[in-house]
Amino acid sequence: MEAPPDSDVLCARSVHYSHDGSPGIAGVSVAVRRGEVLAVTGPRGSGKTTLLHCLGGRLVPRDGEVWFDGVPVHSMGALARERLRRDRFGWIGPEPALLPELTVWENAALPLLVAGTAHRTAKRTACEWLDRLDIGGLARRRPGALTRAEAQRAALARALVHEPAVVFADEPTAPLHRAERAMLLRTLTTAARSHGITVVLASHDEETAAAADRCLPLLDGRPAADPTAAGPGAPGDTPEGQAACSLSA
Amino acid sequence: MLALRLTRGSRPLVQLRRLLVAAAAAGSGFLLLYVLAEAAARPAGSFPRLLWALLPLAATVHLAVRTARTDPATRPREGMDAVGLGPLHLALAAAVSTAVACTLGSAVALAAFLHLRGNLGGLPFDGAGAALLHADRPLPLAAALTLLSLTPLAAAAAAAALALRPRTPAAPAAGLPWGIALAACGLAVLGHAGPGGRALPAGWALTAAGLALAGPGLAYACGALVQAVRPGALRLLAGRTLQEEAPRLGRPLGVLCAAGTAAIAAALPGRGGIGAPLGPLTGPAFALTVLCAAATLLAAAVEVRQSRAASRAALADLGAPGSVLRTAATVRAAALLAVCLPVCWGVARLTSLALTG
Repeated sequence: MEAPPDSDVLCARSVHYSHDGSPGIAGVSVAVRRGEVLAVTGPRGSGKTTLLHCLGGRLVPRDGEVWFDGVPVHSMGALARERLRRDRFGWIGPEPALLPELTVWENAALPLLVAGTAHRTAKRTACEWLDRLDIGGLARRRPGALTRAEAQRAALARALVHEPAVVFADEPTAPLHRAERAMLLRTLTTAARSHGITVVLASHDEETAAAADRCLPLLDGRPAADPTAAGPGAPGDTPEGQAACSLSA
Repeated sequence: MLALRLTRGSRPLVQLRRLLVAAAAAGSGFLLLYVLAEAAARPAGSFPRLLWALLPLAATVHLAVRTARTDPATRPREGMDAVGLGPLHLALAAAVSTAVACTLGSAVALAAFLHLRGNLGGLPFDGAGAALLHADRPLPLAAALTLLSLTPLAAAAAAAALALRPRTPAAPAAGLPWGIALAACGLAVLGHAGPGGRALPAGWALTAAGLALAGPGLAYACGALVQAVRPGALRLLAGRTLQEEAPRLGRPLGVLCAAGTAAIAAALPGRGGIGAPLGPLTGPAFALTVLCAAATLLAAAVEVRQSRAASRAALADLGAPGSVLRTAATVRAAALLAVCLPVCWGVARLTSLALTG
C-alpha cells in the first residue's frame, strides 16, 4: 500500500465492488491527473456509475484501493468521507436533484451553506456561478419553474460553487437535447480548465466522451481494453451470446 | 383480493399503523354503542350526546384517511402502473384496506360491548359494565349495526375519494384568515350560549373547525419565521421544508390544536362549559379524540418523510452530514410547539372568558 505519485489527484487500484451479489465492477485501475478531464465510457450497466461512486467516496470498494491527494479514501470512516465529499468533491448526476423548496441560488449555494459559509458570501458566490452559466436571471425562481436544461445547469453550478478539487459528472447530459448537451459539456470543461478542477465524466455516447482529454472504456465492469474482459463470449471465440445463453423462453 | 394481498404483504410498521386505525375504530364504535344504549334507556337529551360522540368518530375517520395516504401499498407505483393498476385501482385498494381495518375495529367494539353487558355469557368486572351499558334493556340490533358500519363506510369512502386524488398545491396561508374568522364566530356562539347552553356543541365545533382551517397557515407562518433573515443551511432547510409541507402537516396540526384547546379549557375553571356530555365515558372519549389527532399528525409526518426521500438523497450526495437533517427536523418540531402551545392556551382562555363573561 503505497501512495500514488503527486501528479495523480485521484487513483484507483484494482477496485472491486458488487451490489448485494450482483456484479458491479471488478478489477478497475485508473489514475486521474490533476486538472484533466477523464471520460469513463461504456454502455449502460458497464459499471460507470459504480466506479464514480467508488472514486467519489460514496461507496467503499470491497477490494482494492482509492487514493485522493495522497490520502486513502478506501480506509476512511463514513464521517470523513462525508466531509471529503462536501469540501473537495462536486457531483452532478443525470437528474438535477435540486431541492424543490429552495430557490435556484439557494440550491446552488447549498454546498457552501452546509459547510458553514456566511449567508452573504454564499449568495454572492452562487450568483456569480449562475451568471457564468447564463441562468443568473433565474436565481430567485423555484426549480419547479425551470426547464430540464436550466435545472441541469443549476445543478452544475451547485457542483462547481465551492470550487472542488474533483467534479464527478455521471451522465450529466442524459436528459438533454443535442444543442443543450453540447452547451452543458462546453461549460463544464471550460469551467474545469479555467479553475483547475479535475473532471471525471461518465457517458455512454461518443460525442460526450470526445470532450474529454482521455477515455477509460469499461465493459461489464472491467476495462474494455483488458483481454480478459470479454471472457468466453469474446468476438472470434464463439458467435456472440451462444455459449452464455442456455435459456429457452 | 389484490387489496388483501397488498395488505398482507406489507412491513410490520405499516401493519402497526393499520392496527392503530382498527383500535381507533373500535373505540369510536364502542362510544356509539354506548350512546345508543343510553338513548334506548333515557331518550331525553340523546341527540346532543350523539353529536358529541360524532367527534371521536370524525377523528377516527381523519386518522384512517391519513393512514391510507401513507400506506405504501396504495401509492401509485411504477411497476403497478405498468401492469395496468393505475391510481384509480389503487384508490379502490386503499378503500378496501381501510374498510377492512375499520370493520375489524367495529367487530371488536361490538364483541366488547356485548361481553361487558353480559350478553355473551358471563359478566366481567362483577357486572360493573352491566349497569353502565343498560344491560337490562334489549339492544336495538339494526340500529347498532347501522352505527357500527358508519366508521368503515365513511372511512373507506373518504379514503377512496381523498387519499389518491391528484392534489393541486393549495396556498397554505390562504386558510389563516378564514380559520381565525371561524374560530371567532365559534367564540361568539359560545359566549351567547353560556355554560350548559344548547348551542354549546355548535360553538365548540365552529372553534375547532376554525383552528383546523388555520392549521396550514400556522405551519406556513412557522416555517417563514424559522427561515427569516439570512438563514444558514440549517434554518433554510428547516424553514423551507415546513413551508413546503404546511398543506400536508397543517390540517392534522390544527385538529390537534383544537383537541389541545379543549383539554386546556376543560382544565381551566369553568371546565369550558362542556360538563360531561357522555357521562362516565367523557374522559375516555376525549382521550380517544386526542390520541387520534396525535396519531394523524404522526401519519402526516410519515407522509412528509416519504415524500422527501429524494431531497434527503440529494443532500447526502452533497456530503451534508446526517446531523444537519436531524437537527433541522428538531428545529421544525420546536418551532411548531413554540407557536401552537401559546395559540391553544390563548384560545382556551378566550373560550373560558366567553363562557364566564
